[in-house]
Amino acid sequence: MIYFAMSKGRLVEKSAALLEKCGVDVSVLREDTRKLVLTSADQKYGFFLVKPADVPVYVESGVADLGIAGKDTLLEEGRDLYELLDLGFGKCRLCLAGYPTRKSALTSPHLRVATKYINTAKRIFSERGEEVELIKLNGSVELAPVTGLADVIFDVVETGSTLKANGLVVLEEVITGVSARLVANKVSLKLKSAEILPLVEKISEAIS
Amino acid sequence: MIFSGLPAGVRDILPEECAALDEIKRRLSRKFLMNGFEPVESATLEYFDTYSRISNAVPEERMFKLSDKDGKLLVLRPDATLAISRIAATKLTAPKARLSYFTRKYDLQEAGGVSSREIYQAGVECLGEEGAFADAQTIAFAVECLKETGLEDFVVEVGHVGYFKGLLEDCGLTEEEAESVRAHVNAKDSLSAQRLLEHAGVKKSALNAVLALPALFGGAEIFDRAEAITENATAREAIARLREIHTHLSHMGYEKYVCYDLGTVRRLAYYSGVVFSGLVREMGAPVMSGGRYDFLADDFGKHVPAVGFAMGLKRILVALERQGNLPAPAPVSVAVACEQGAEAVGYQAVMQAVKEGKRAVLLSDYGQEALKTVRAAEKYLATEEGLKKI
Repeated sequence: MIYFAMSKGRLVEKSAALLEKCGVDVSVLREDTRKLVLTSADQKYGFFLVKPADVPVYVESGVADLGIAGKDTLLEEGRDLYELLDLGFGKCRLCLAGYPTRKSALTSPHLRVATKYINTAKRIFSERGEEVELIKLNGSVELAPVTGLADVIFDVVETGSTLKANGLVVLEEVITGVSARLVANKVSLKLKSAEILPLVEKISEAIS
Repeated sequence: MIFSGLPAGVRDILPEECAALDEIKRRLSRKFLMNGFEPVESATLEYFDTYSRISNAVPEERMFKLSDKDGKLLVLRPDATLAISRIAATKLTAPKARLSYFTRKYDLQEAGGVSSREIYQAGVECLGEEGAFADAQTIAFAVECLKETGLEDFVVEVGHVGYFKGLLEDCGLTEEEAESVRAHVNAKDSLSAQRLLEHAGVKKSALNAVLALPALFGGAEIFDRAEAITENATAREAIARLREIHTHLSHMGYEKYVCYDLGTVRRLAYYSGVVFSGLVREMGAPVMSGGRYDFLADDFGKHVPAVGFAMGLKRILVALERQGNLPAPAPVSVAVACEQGAEAVGYQAVMQAVKEGKRAVLLSDYGQEALKTVRAAEKYLATEEGLKKI
């Protein structure tokens, strides 16, 4: 049996559709159920539906053999796993966004950056040698500059409509080409290669 | 409130688990000894400078630091192999040595997931040994050691850093770019590797070779594919070496335990040749990891070619438990309880049983009642008249 860790939310339907195209029985993913471990009718696949940020955790530990997660999450989590394929959907960019002109404040000379991606932001600003104040938020990040909690946000931007509706603009595209990736546990890929490699091959064909 | 917590990433090992750990250590220590290895122990405390000034410096943020009375910065042993290299270069006079160790290394960063910050390791180092047979013999011994722990269904994955180094030579990258490419290849992230190589203007043939790396794993059949994609001498030497190792391993009867992966590229400055790791399905991370590191000791003043491996004892325990093979300690075979006034009789009986090689216990509670609560093959009550079998 191959165990899949899938993110709940924006990626799940597209992931399911892709796997279905590759001959995986995903009907269990579409059932309305409160079960946490879903097993396909043919007993070939097990699915865990988890929060996006947890996909790399499940895959790194080997509890799940394969996973589908956004590149943004992979960068943020920095887990030791194989990143096998770019699945092409869930495209977005990691951007710095804020008001077109920054209101300077004498009492906070550092740029205050609100983000869910605290590790990625830390890395990027330290690479640039910029001192910033990072503020960890868990959602609705756009609210931070609007309310004055932060000067800018560092977040994924898909269409930019939320930004626009709040008078914010993309100040800089920091990481482009963010999209959903197929990831694999390092041990599983070797020890279950007879099951995993043909599937990876099929997925690779389906997306090209 | 009593303050009794532990810092993140470390833990106590309680009796049952500790018994299993001890049993594995006992098996391995006998294995090491019987195969001609001599045990060593490196000091737990060392100077920060020892590990920060070498070319294979341990990253500062990964070392546990303390300060000495004179203000010098100390670290808790950050790497077992580097410590042995230091010993080999500075304290051993013979050109060759086979050393084994049981140790704990400390990593300030790792916490949670599959890693902890106090890492129990058992390993060996073959110092002063060169050549493909030394490599093959070490891999074979790693297989034997993993078997000795009781693990089943494991595979040793073998690679060679020279192959990747060779491909990189053709790319003309800066050190920083090379390290990024290594990380991408190691993560089998061809896409990011491709972007970086294209950005650096690497020529097509070299680029394609690097991009083929993540898929270069499997049986010995990958050697042909690996040779076909590059003309680079260093890379081809690496494959020639792997072929030699494979031939030795086949002749020695270890073919079924090994597979190959040229896309596993660990830190290049550390490893200089063959690299290998032990994989078990029940554990998402390697339970054993080793390779050839011919230049590690150079920084400590002496060139000592070496090959060796370390096993992660904690991970092995987890895998054993998941396989249902966790060793249990020998049960108590003799239990003795005393009647008031017959303590010496009971004590002598236990001493005698232990002398005969039985695991025996003298109960602290008095009387026949006490024997009802213990599990033992033989139970005795010590009375003033003598020993009474119950």
